[in-house]
This record gives sequence, C-alpha cells and structure tokens, in this order.
Amino acid sequence: MMRVLRALWRASVAEELQYRANFVASLLGTVFWTGTAILTVAVFFGQTDDLGGWTVWEVVALLGIYTALGGLVEAVIRPGLGSLVSDVRSGGLDLVLARPVEAQIYVSFRRIDIWRFADVVLGLGLTTFALVRLGRAPGIVEAGAFLLALIAAAAVVYAIWVVLMSTAFWFVAVENLAVVFDALYEAARYPVAAYPGALRLLFVYLIPIAWTTTIPAGTLTGRFPPVVALGAIVIACIALFLSRLFWLTALRHYTSAGG
Amino acid sequence: MTTLRSWLGRYGALVRTAWLVDIQYRAAIGLWLIWGVLEPLITLGIWWTIAGDGPVQGYERADFARYFFAVIVVNQVTIAWDAYYIDSWIRGGEMNHRLARPIGPIHEAIADNLAYKIRAVAVVTLVWGLVAIAWPAVRIPFEPGRWVLAALATLLAAAIRFLNGYATGLLAFWTTRATALVSLQYGVSMFLSGRIAPLSLLPPAVVSVSSVLWFPWMLAFPVELLTGTITSGRTIANGFAMQIVWTLAWAGLYMLVWRRGIRHYAAVGG
Repeated sequence: MMRVLRALWRASVAEELQYRANFVASLLGTVFWTGTAILTVAVFFGQTDDLGGWTVWEVVALLGIYTALGGLVEAVIRPGLGSLVSDVRSGGLDLVLARPVEAQIYVSFRRIDIWRFADVVLGLGLTTFALVRLGRAPGIVEAGAFLLALIAAAAVVYAIWVVLMSTAFWFVAVENLAVVFDALYEAARYPVAAYPGALRLLFVYLIPIAWTTTIPAGTLTGRFPPVVALGAIVIACIALFLSRLFWLTALRHYTSAGG
Repeated sequence: MTTLRSWLGRYGALVRTAWLVDIQYRAAIGLWLIWGVLEPLITLGIWWTIAGDGPVQGYERADFARYFFAVIVVNQVTIAWDAYYIDSWIRGGEMNHRLARPIGPIHEAIADNLAYKIRAVAVVTLVWGLVAIAWPAVRIPFEPGRWVLAALATLLAAAIRFLNGYATGLLAFWTTRATALVSLQYGVSMFLSGRIAPLSLLPPAVVSVSSVLWFPWMLAFPVELLTGTITSGRTIANGFAMQIVWTLAWAGLYMLVWRRGIRHYAAVGG
C-alpha cells in the first residue's frame, strides 16, 4: 500500500510543480486570510481582555494551529476525499473498488497538493511567534504532549471528513458536501471556552471540533496538563474507529445499489 | 408597453426555469444555506460570551443576537456567487454558447438570483420567526414602516453586491485570478460590511474609510435599519443616497467591463 501511495504522491508532486505560480497565489491567499483572522481577534480583544479566559496571544497561538491544520486538510484530505462525491456520481469509484488496494486509504490519500504544506509551516510559525510573545518556552514534556495532541487533531479532522464524505453514497446529488466541513471548522478558529455552554457541549462531544485546535493549543501554552494529550489520542482512536464503521456501512450501501 | 410585457414574460420564464433547476439541487442549496447561517452564528457566540460581562459599547447580548440574525437574512438576499460561474464559463468555453443565446447572460444571472433568494429568504425568515417564539432576544421591534425601508435598503444592497460580483467576475476575460479578487473583497467586507462586528465597534478611522466605499451599504446599513439601530432621518437618507450612488457606479463599471471584455474575448477566440 505504501508503495502505491508513494507512486501516487510522486505523480501529484510532478503535476503540481508545473504550476509554480499557484504556489505564490496560494501563499498570498493564506497570508491574507490569516491576516483577516488576526484582525478579527484584534476586534474582539478591542472590547475585552480575554475570550473565555484565553488571553490574546493564547488565541493567536490557537489561530496558528487552525491555519496549520487547515493547510493539512487542503494539502492531503481535500484533494482525494473531496472528489469522492463526483467519483460516486460518475461511477469512477467502481474503478477504485476494482483495484487490489484498500479503498478507503486509496480514496483518502491518492492525491496531494504540496503547495498547501506552506500553510502548515506558516501556521506553526504564527504559533511560535505567539509563544514568544507569551514568553513561554514549552518544556520537552509539553512539546511532546503538543505533538501527540496535534496528531490526534489531524486524525479527528480526517474522521469528520470520512463520515461527511461517506454520506455521498446516499446523497449523490450533493456536490458541495465539503462545505459542511468548512462551516464546522470555522468554529475551531476560537477556543471552545469562548462559546456559550450549549455550543461548547456540541463542539466537545457531538462534533468533536474542540479537539482539533483548542486541545493542542492548550497543551502547548500550559493551560491544560500534558496528560490531556493522552485523552486526545483516545478520542482520536474512537473517532477513527467510528468513521471506519461508517465508511464500511456506506460502502455496503453503494455496492447493493450499484449491483 | 409591449416591450415591458415581453420582458416580464422573459423574466417569468427564466425565473421559473431557475426555480425548477434549484429544486433538483435542493440538498446542495441547503448545505450552502448552512454555511451562510453558521458563520454569523459563530461570531454571535463569541460576542455573546464577551457581552456576558456587561454591555459592549451599549451592545447587550440581545442586541448582538438581533444584529447577527439580521445579518443572516440580509446576507441571504445579497449573497452573490455569479463571479465563480462566469470564471468557469470563460475558462471552460461555456461562455460561447451562452453568448449565442438571444438574451444577455446577465438577465439569466438576475433570474437565477431572484429564484434562489426568494426561496432562501423564505426559509431563513421562517426559521427566524420560529426561533423568535422561543428566544425573545432575537425579536425585532414591530414597526412596519421601518421594515419597508429595510426591505428597500436590502434590495439596493443586493443590487450593489450582485453588480460588484458580476463586474469583478468578468475580469476573468483578462486574468485567471478573477475569483481571487472576489474573495479578497469578501475578506475586506468581513470588517467593512459589518460581518464580524457592528461597525460602531470598529476603530473610528476604519469606519470613516468604509463609509465612502461600497462595503457598508451592501450589508451593515440594511441590517442596522432592520434592527432599529439607525433612527435619525438624516442618516437614513444619507444611506439610501450612498446605496444609489454605488448601485449606479457598479452598474457603470459592469457595462464598461462587459463591453471591453466581449471585444477582448472575441479577439482571442478568433
């Protein structure tokens, strides 16, 4: 499987390298949107000293993680999983299913957009800058906890995508399913503590968007004890497991419809 | 008179077609609607928390709730996506057979907008009404005269945003990054149109810059008219004047870009 993926990625990279102007455009876009996000935070902090107890640089550190994770989505998840809807509609998915590879992995990771990895670098850079402004150098334990929480966050985001895109097997006519993710991910821009109680419960338990940015940022700035990262890993495993079940159920539905 | 009637007939047919096409894609439209509703709601959530410690420059929690609910509705009426279609038509060549039709592409776009917006506004207003039964914070004061003015301002706002989006989209005749310019304007409108906060919460310098541009007249003005924030007759009159100025300005720019663009396009196509 790894060999197949490596070959696919090499092809993607070769293709993208032809469009170098896209790199500049995508970088400028990210800089612009991150700039508006920071200004938005500035507007909020013009009227208050804290968002749900988080100070301005803590929120900016979170914003960097939001940008980095968003970049990962654009680089790895959207190019492959994002076109599942049109694959189901056009029948192109049959060609995938007929191949002797694991379908979920193939569909998810068949394409990458290398330019968007720049967003990951940019986001982590912003987080580092915010840490400097906070005057905090995370220790080895905190850094490790952050890394674990970040991996868990990526897994949660991936699980949300799998569940969302699997619904394509039922709703073939919905070309823009990914918009739902964009709308939900919008909520990850701010720490969960900044939302009213009911929304907070929703983001922690039902749609686990809280685990994508709030937890990594919190472990990095020392707001949460490092052990929270282990909790994040458990949540990520549960999310991956449930999304896998959902995918398999959806796929069974597809074969029965197609045959 | 007969020309008017024939135009009404044409538009009737176009809107009906667009309406029926939309029905086929109702699930997809529903998802766009979710996006349009969630973004203001998230911002409202943050302001709700901030205003929990006391009013923010006179804005209580309920004021924020009313403001952002009005933003949701006005945004649905003024939302403009045409630039993205124009871009793909010009690049993919579909523009050719659209140009061959006996009626200009902009009329079809207007009809599409009417069909979408009638439906979206009906849905959003209905939901708002239901929410208002349970949640007094989002109730709008009962002042039919003000509602009529707000409706008028919303229509003008829709015209500005439509013409602005359409004219910007037509830049695709020359560049492949026309949609980036649309996104750029959207980013600016986060602040200058009052999407992120009521304009009075922004620095005064920003507000005075925005007031000479088209941004606040596309959203903030009708919203504040609806929520009852704007009361003085002079401010209302000034707002409508600015709306008319910017509608005419963008209509002029549209015509300019369209004529030049078509000439440019024909030159490239052979």
